[in-house]
Amino acid sequence: MEILLGAISSGLLLGMVIALVALGLTMVFGVMDIVNFAHGEFLMLGMYTGLLTAQATGVDPLFTLPVAAVVGFLLGILCYSGFVKFLLRGPVVAQLLGTFGLMLFLRNLALLIFGSEDRALHHGILVGKSFDVGVGIIIPATKLAAAILSVLSFVGVWLLMNRTKVGKALTATALNGQGARYMGIPTERMNNLAWGIGGATVTVAGALIVNFWSVNPFVGILFTMIAFAVVALGGFGSVPGAFFAGLVVGLIMEIPGIWDFLTYLTDSEVMGRVPMTSLKYMWIYAAYFVIMVVRPRGLFGWKQ
Amino acid sequence: MEAIRNAFDFSDFPRLDLVIAGALALFFVIFPLSPHSSFTMATMIQFFMFSIYGMGWNTIGGYGGQVDLGKAQYVGIGAYTTAVMLIRWDIPFWFSMPVGMGLAVMWSFIIGYPLFRLKGHYFAIATIATSLVLKDIFEVWDFVGAARGLGISPIKYQPPDFLRLIFKEDIYYYYVILGFFFLGILYLNWFRTSRLGFQLRCIKDNEDVARSLGINVHWAKIKTYAIATAFVSMVGSFHACYVKNIEPEDTMSLDISILIALMAMLGGAGSLWGPIIGAGILIPLKSYLKEWLGAAAGLVGIDLILYGVIIMLISAFEPRGIWGIVEKARRRKRR
Amino acid sequence: MAFLEIEKLTKAFGGLRANDGISFSLERRELAGLIGPNGAGKTTLFNCISGQYPVTSGRILFDGEDITLLKAHEVARRGIARTFQVYVASGDLTVEENVMVGCFMHTGSRSAARDKARKILKELNLLDLSDSMVRELPVPAQKRVTMATALGTEPKLLLLDEVAAGLNPAEIDGIMGSIRHIHDDMGVTVMLIEHVMELVMNISDRLIVLDYGEKIAEGTPQQVAKDPRVIKAYLGERYVKEHAKSDLSLSIDH
Repeated sequence: MEILLGAISSGLLLGMVIALVALGLTMVFGVMDIVNFAHGEFLMLGMYTGLLTAQATGVDPLFTLPVAAVVGFLLGILCYSGFVKFLLRGPVVAQLLGTFGLMLFLRNLALLIFGSEDRALHHGILVGKSFDVGVGIIIPATKLAAAILSVLSFVGVWLLMNRTKVGKALTATALNGQGARYMGIPTERMNNLAWGIGGATVTVAGALIVNFWSVNPFVGILFTMIAFAVVALGGFGSVPGAFFAGLVVGLIMEIPGIWDFLTYLTDSEVMGRVPMTSLKYMWIYAAYFVIMVVRPRGLFGWKQ
Repeated sequence: MEAIRNAFDFSDFPRLDLVIAGALALFFVIFPLSPHSSFTMATMIQFFMFSIYGMGWNTIGGYGGQVDLGKAQYVGIGAYTTAVMLIRWDIPFWFSMPVGMGLAVMWSFIIGYPLFRLKGHYFAIATIATSLVLKDIFEVWDFVGAARGLGISPIKYQPPDFLRLIFKEDIYYYYVILGFFFLGILYLNWFRTSRLGFQLRCIKDNEDVARSLGINVHWAKIKTYAIATAFVSMVGSFHACYVKNIEPEDTMSLDISILIALMAMLGGAGSLWGPIIGAGILIPLKSYLKEWLGAAAGLVGIDLILYGVIIMLISAFEPRGIWGIVEKARRRKRR
Repeated sequence: MAFLEIEKLTKAFGGLRANDGISFSLERRELAGLIGPNGAGKTTLFNCISGQYPVTSGRILFDGEDITLLKAHEVARRGIARTFQVYVASGDLTVEENVMVGCFMHTGSRSAARDKARKILKELNLLDLSDSMVRELPVPAQKRVTMATALGTEPKLLLLDEVAAGLNPAEIDGIMGSIRHIHDDMGVTVMLIEHVMELVMNISDRLIVLDYGEKIAEGTPQQVAKDPRVIKAYLGERYVKEHAKSDLSLSIDH
């Protein structure tokens, strides 16, 4: 039983962080209908930012978040105004391959600069500490902090989108770019802003994740696919959708744990032989496929 | 038959194109008989392989307009079928290759049916998803050697073995792949003016009009996808016999899928010569960059940085690829 | 049994009834016009008949068969072809190739399709434009190409959607001639949506008038032109009163 509860709680916590990873992707898609394959690379760069800032300044990793946010924001705007803007004019093929090129570029630039070894954080207020809530639920402090910060970020973004003038302008641009332009909303600036916020949220997520996940230049693609699954499930363009879908995907990532529980429960030999842990990402890809076929709109989406 | 006549009918191409193509074809045939380095030979073989991958991709991606980023899974199916059949049951290439194609096509129908209800980005991501799922399965499946992969040891056989496609010298492999290359071109030449080819081009521009002309859009796409799959799987089987060592990471990775799509796009998706031009640029580029820069002096990945930049430039400024530029220039001259 | 029978066809988009309980029938070899003010639901009706839209309720019977539930490509294979307001089969193909796409519905052979396409192009006076790219042609020629492409499928019924839109009087004459040729000499039953009155009034055997999704009148052009409901739909209440006073009617003398 404890295994099950442990897996579930771990999945939910992880899910909250994953939701934050996906938030930027869904925002950008919502505002301008482009899928950013380089999304995971932004995350990866966020992870490096968090790691290196902490190591360089000796500051606790959690306090590197503002730095990551700024880096992400600027990176987002740079990518948009320097490149993505031009992609929008062309056919979908070009858009897809374009952001893919960006992904290759960023990933290999990181490889060149940082080298291919795994790097991880070893110091920090929270590293290595965990809370034992009993009933088999052990909550690592880093994951908890990450989850809390993720929830705060979501609330922040939600407030931004729904309670501020800027947010409403962003939503307007998302719903109808042409119309928004006629209403005097500076859509170019909105696009830049969307990329900036999107970039910032995902780099912050990276800086959080690096507290419990080691980084190398190749982690990007995995998180890109995870983010796609989340956005597909939650609905392309939906902020609350991203949150709930994130939780679901976090749970999916814990399938090995749940599988172990079931194996133990049924004492099944066959089940025991299946290498679930190695396959855990496969479920995410499969989930994406199934969702798109069965309900392309996702749970909360309004765009198809 | 009419189909064969059509395959050889290049009459709607400008004379200049045909002359250049003919000259190149001649060059390709004579090349191995002239002095060359083994490195160049290997690069040429890679070039032909990827041209065929690209040509296959082009059917559904170029003429059909649906960007497929999961072709690598079919390379894997072709390669592994041939490897497994050879290693376990000593079945020659010329039998295992069609079997591989059959399996690949079957798989393509299974995922194609739901897949083609999607379009644009969603479709592309879904193709990536299926490819990664298959790769992950192969990485833990002991029957195919899991992550270690499979190896064919040439000592077991007496090269040159034409049945099993085991050779010591590259020149044999060269002519085999060259044969496939020419066959591929002929097939595509037939395809682009065939009923399915025309239907596809109409679908790409306007699906509603296509339907009103009696075209079953969904089914047309699935058929084309199967054709693309067959091309890729065929070369995948060849790949197994050529490199003799296959594992999921280098046969079925996302990078290979991207490379295939990229090649076709760079050269000009939707044209016959496009993927060949694309392969002609990217494969030598990749090989020579690796030779010179390689893993030396920590310049790992610089070839891919260059790739990334090239893709970015082409997508942003000339999405129709090199052939698109050529056609644009010609149209302007006509006026 | 009529050739085309529409029974109480309703197409609703959420709360909006674009087509509401429309019923009429068409005989073989008729040339019928579908008219009505903008937004009356004419194109929607075409979309329902050709299978582009699923119907909310009602039935469509064609040549003795209930085709209500068929998908668009199946309807095409039953012999109903249509043109769209803007598009040709492919802007990237030549005129001849465009028509071939239509011809491929009945044959798998390239040469057979090409021969058939050439025949159709000859009928519509497009043969000398065979090798031109469609997107480089002037608008009236493009319209004839869309008709030729539809004809490639050997339809029994051809639905033309505003083929005369944007043409000047001379061009309208040309299109009218083509439509007449298709109907009279090629034996195709034709139904056309039109706003250009001089075309539809003069060419149609019969008119069906829609307004706000409903059929409000049906009859010969002369009958329909004098129908007060039709005048009201197009010109408003005021003109109905004026019509009662004078002999005002809608037909424009050519």
